[in-house]
Amino acid sequence: MSRRAFHIVQTSLLASIAVLVTSVGLSAGQGPRLPMVADALRWPTERPPRPLAAKKVTFPPYEIRTLPNGLKVVLVSQNEQPIVSARMLVRAGAAQDPKGKEGLAMLTAALLDQGTASRSSAQIAEEIDFMGGLLGSGAGTDLSFVNTVSMSDGLGQALDLMSDVVRAPAFAEAEIERQRQQALSSLTVAADDPDTVASQVIDRLVFGFHPYGMPSGGTVSSLSSLTRQDFVTFHKSWFVPNNALIAIVGDVTPDAAFAQVQRVFGDWAQAPVPAFAPMDPPPPVKRLIVIDKPGSVQTEIRAGHLAFERRHADHLVMDQVVKILGGEGGNRLQQVLRTQKALTYGASADLDAYKLTGAVIAETDTRTEATAEAVRTVVDEFFRLQRERVYEGELEGAQDFLAGSFPLSIESPDAIATRVLNQLFYDLPLEDLPAYPERVRSVTVDDVQRVAKSWLKPSSLSVVLVGDADRFMKDLAGAGFSSVERIPIEQLDLTSADLRRAQRGAQH
Amino acid sequence: MTTLVARVVSSFRRRALAALGVALVAAGALFVPLEAAVAPPRLQYQRFTLPNGLTVILHSDRSTPIAHVQIWYHVGSKNERPGRTGFAHLFEHMMFKGSKNVEPEQHTSIVSSVGGRANAYTNEDATVYWNTVPSQYLPLVLWMEADRLGSLRIDESTFVNEREVVKEERRMRVDNQPFGNLNELLYKAAFTTHPYKNPVIGSMADLDAATIDDVRAFFNTFYIPANATVVIAGDFDVAETTDLVTRYFGRIPAGAGKVPRDIAPEPVPAAEKRFTLEEAWPLPAVIVAHHITYDGHPDSYPLHVLAKVLSDGNSSRIFRSLVYDKRLAVAAFGSANLIEHPNLFYAVALVAPGQSPEAVEKALIAELDKAAADGVTDRELQRAKNQFARDYILGRESVQAKAGVLAHAEVLHADIATADGEFAIFQNMARADVQRVAKKYFTTGSRVVMHVRPKTGGSRP
Repeated sequence: MSRRAFHIVQTSLLASIAVLVTSVGLSAGQGPRLPMVADALRWPTERPPRPLAAKKVTFPPYEIRTLPNGLKVVLVSQNEQPIVSARMLVRAGAAQDPKGKEGLAMLTAALLDQGTASRSSAQIAEEIDFMGGLLGSGAGTDLSFVNTVSMSDGLGQALDLMSDVVRAPAFAEAEIERQRQQALSSLTVAADDPDTVASQVIDRLVFGFHPYGMPSGGTVSSLSSLTRQDFVTFHKSWFVPNNALIAIVGDVTPDAAFAQVQRVFGDWAQAPVPAFAPMDPPPPVKRLIVIDKPGSVQTEIRAGHLAFERRHADHLVMDQVVKILGGEGGNRLQQVLRTQKALTYGASADLDAYKLTGAVIAETDTRTEATAEAVRTVVDEFFRLQRERVYEGELEGAQDFLAGSFPLSIESPDAIATRVLNQLFYDLPLEDLPAYPERVRSVTVDDVQRVAKSWLKPSSLSVVLVGDADRFMKDLAGAGFSSVERIPIEQLDLTSADLRRAQRGAQH
Repeated sequence: MTTLVARVVSSFRRRALAALGVALVAAGALFVPLEAAVAPPRLQYQRFTLPNGLTVILHSDRSTPIAHVQIWYHVGSKNERPGRTGFAHLFEHMMFKGSKNVEPEQHTSIVSSVGGRANAYTNEDATVYWNTVPSQYLPLVLWMEADRLGSLRIDESTFVNEREVVKEERRMRVDNQPFGNLNELLYKAAFTTHPYKNPVIGSMADLDAATIDDVRAFFNTFYIPANATVVIAGDFDVAETTDLVTRYFGRIPAGAGKVPRDIAPEPVPAAEKRFTLEEAWPLPAVIVAHHITYDGHPDSYPLHVLAKVLSDGNSSRIFRSLVYDKRLAVAAFGSANLIEHPNLFYAVALVAPGQSPEAVEKALIAELDKAAADGVTDRELQRAKNQFARDYILGRESVQAKAGVLAHAEVLHADIATADGEFAIFQNMARADVQRVAKKYFTTGSRVVMHVRPKTGGSRP
């Protein structure tokens, strides 16, 4: 093959030369074809090799202890690498944002390491960076977290820092303003990102004005309204030891780790946790919303409906139903939308089961012209899964993955701790951890059919499309959607009843 | 919600394309604290070459009953010929389209059906296929990987279908996201000649132009045993696995000849380059970049230290100055993109509302110039070394990560000993090394400055 010709093309932008050399490259490239064909012919036809003897896989050892003040401590000791991580969960997140104060949990978490009673923001950053550690904090739907990573000999110092930021954040006005500005800029970017917008709108449709439906990153008006007192109150209400869990994981013995936790959190005062009983989410109704973003080259698609909380008795089965629809080991959506129709790079469905309730949500994206076909296909798969019994082999596929991947799920000490924390956080039995593979395999095709029949709601799906509406609206009726609400992206307001911004001078 | 930095960083990560979020292997990120009471264990391995040229590396670690197989083909987007940008990655997709004994799309589903995970990614320099499975299935995975290298099915209709999938991937990752094409714009501006100027995902026009003959030629040229390295890490018996690899891969013929490696070098830039562009982005951005050396060059280690001092953590200079103190930017970070051929050190800032891009540019350049003029402090150097020790350990927690470290050293450094050997280089680094390198690369002549302004109207054309 003439490599010199390649140089000519790469240093020249003349299209004519490019065409010439392209053809040279092609004919040269065809030279070695014959040997390959011959190799393929010679290649043996054979069956895959048998597996080796399987090893018995047991859930690795861990300990749970509790401090007198109610702080639950998970200890996982593993000394392959000289590193320790500490992870604290507090049982309050975006769901606990008061109405009109959306974004409070997120900003509270962001402010924790921005200064305490005894350390400035800069001192905290310098201390953790100099020791080669990591310190991070954030908020999720039902929880807030603070994590550290340190070398084994730095655990004490890392926990000193963690204790300081968890227990004594300063919430200084200047830091509040900095974080507020960052959050507002993030909103500006998020509002322009079809992926983020689609996910926010589907949550809002599925959960309504239940806290799970509200934007966890806040809105311009909610972020602007937050005062120092809001942060102080949120922190004081929820950040108490009897409302928290901590895991110490890695190269430290359980006794040494527990002694360190006791040292820094032993005198953290217990306090009553506020009651929390939000309104129920609305029942599922069929609704299609198009968020118009002219110029988009793809349409972001979400389809879903309300399901149930993590502790629900049908969770184990429903998880497999949703895996068949769109998860690892199954995923009809991916097979149809990607493999058969080449409409997307990826399609999936998730069972988002939280503390109080949950949802089934399918997602994909496709080129604008294919929007109606893709959304119709997604909805059809919900119907098909409810209407027809799944194949035995299909269920086995989902179960083989879930049960078989058990050894992969306990590779790192952090992964082990995550599973333990998960059980504790959702008040699930710890005995389920070692029994997981057997529990997965206990689910039958009949179970799947029963749960799919009672919990899938294909006729009451909420659907969100974010894309260039003019280019696909006319196709939606043909795909079975006669009633469509269309909202220009700049008029979207997740906190209003009709999802539209109030009509007074919202333009800027 | 995604943080701003995560969003912009992901634009750069997107250069390496993977169906899952596979972290890039940090090149030579191996530091140790001076007072290192804590030193990570060295990686133990066996290395051998089969008669057909295939390199094999074994790292036995029996702590968890899982095994990981990672195959690196030393071909990436920089090996693409003109008019075929995106082809290395498109070809990666074709490797999932079946071989003599494995039906199309079955590779991934067979692996999931035994509880494993499999995927692949392509970057500028390499294409990497990986599988993690419960360890009793190691023979199955080796057999399937050998089957597709020995007998890939190349079928026109499958190819046409898969090309549409890749086009959706480009739309999703690059064209339909705020800042999705940031990286593409920078490299197009900074490089004139070397194929690093092209995005790994390729252009729509080039994807459309690719043919089934290109697939055959690419397979025959680059997917030969001498261009492949198989790393196996995890719970296995070394002798038994050596036999398996030899049995399954040994029967693949050596192939058609030498892999072409004559890639046009980027000429040394004569003067600073400046660009001002308009994009449908929600916030303006400023990027300051310098042409630097390649991964493994003696200067690459001080460049890693400079990236740490300038941009790792909230105590780093760029964050401290632009985001925290002056509040010129809502997000800012820098990175030394050290890969196989000379690349860029870049600093990116998203301009804060009410601030001017000019002021942001000035502040970014001031930080780079200051590093060249005054170097770094003893404390900063020590901090960077401590941070590298952490990254070094965190980068070796899983069998997948360990395999990646070994393969990176073998394939891109052509010296597996560097997987652990760079440790000492970092340990011994002095302030003078760091300042010498900052002075050498952070020059006006090597600089690329790019301003990107939001298009009025906000939407893409």
